[in-house]
Amino acid sequence: MTQAATTQEITIRRLFDAPRELVWKAWTEPDQLVEWWGPPGWSTALSTVTMEVRPGGAFRLMSVNEEGVEMPVVGIYREVIAPERLVLEEPAGDNWHDGAVSVLDLTDLGDGRTELVLQSTIQTTEEMRAAAEAGVTASIERLAGYLA
Amino acid sequence: MPVDQLSTTFSALADPTRRAILARLAEGDATVNELAEPFPITLQAVSKHLKVLERAGLIARGRSAQLRPSRLQGEALKEASDWLAGYRGFWEGSFDRLDDHLRAIQKGRPE
Repeated sequence: MTQAATTQEITIRRLFDAPRELVWKAWTEPDQLVEWWGPPGWSTALSTVTMEVRPGGAFRLMSVNEEGVEMPVVGIYREVIAPERLVLEEPAGDNWHDGAVSVLDLTDLGDGRTELVLQSTIQTTEEMRAAAEAGVTASIERLAGYLA
Repeated sequence: MPVDQLSTTFSALADPTRRAILARLAEGDATVNELAEPFPITLQAVSKHLKVLERAGLIARGRSAQLRPSRLQGEALKEASDWLAGYRGFWEGSFDRLDDHLRAIQKGRPE
C-alpha cells in the first residue's frame, strides 16, 4: 500500500500583462475577485463573499455553475503581505478535502508584467484513503501517472 | 473529464456525510438501512445523498427494488481521485478569466 495519494502539491505559474498592484487588487477586493473566480461557466455573487484580508481573517464565497451546482470555498488568511504574498488555509470540514494550504506569490517583473505562482498542498480525506486501501490504489497511482 | 462532470464530482464530495457513506462502502456493499445506521438522519436524507453520489458516478445501486444495495464504483473513484486535475483545472480556468479581467480594466482605465 502506498501513502502517495494522501498529500498532493501542485504549482501553477502564470504571467499577467498587468502591474502587480492590479493583480493584488483582483485578489483582495471582493468586487474584483467575483469578476474572475472559478472556471468559465461558474459565477460568484458578490453577496456570498466574505473577505477579511488580514492574518486570521475569513475568506468565504459560493460559486455556482449554469446547472445550479454549488461550489463553496471556506478559508482563513494565514499571511497577508501586500502586494506580494497571500497564504490561504482551507480547513477540513466544510471543504471536500482534509485541508489545503495555498500560497500565492506575485512578482513584479519590472516591465509592467506580473508573475503569479500559486502553490497548493492538499490533504486527501481519511475516507478517500480508506477507499484507496480497499483496492483502488492502483487506479489512483495510474491517475498520478498521467498527471505527473 | 468534462467540466460539468467534474463539478458534479466536486459537489458530491463536498459533503462530510457523503464522504462517510463512501468510506462505509469502501468496506463493502450496503443497503440504505445499513448506511443510515451510523448517522442521526432519516432514511430519506440518506437516499438523497445516495442519489447525489449515484449521479456523480461514485456509486452504483442494485436493481432489486427493495434493498438496492449501493456499491462503490472503481471507475468513479478514479474520478474522485481526479480532484487534483480538477483543482488545477479550477485555477487554470480562473486565471484565464483573470487575464481577461486585467486586460479589460486596463483598457477602461489606462494608467
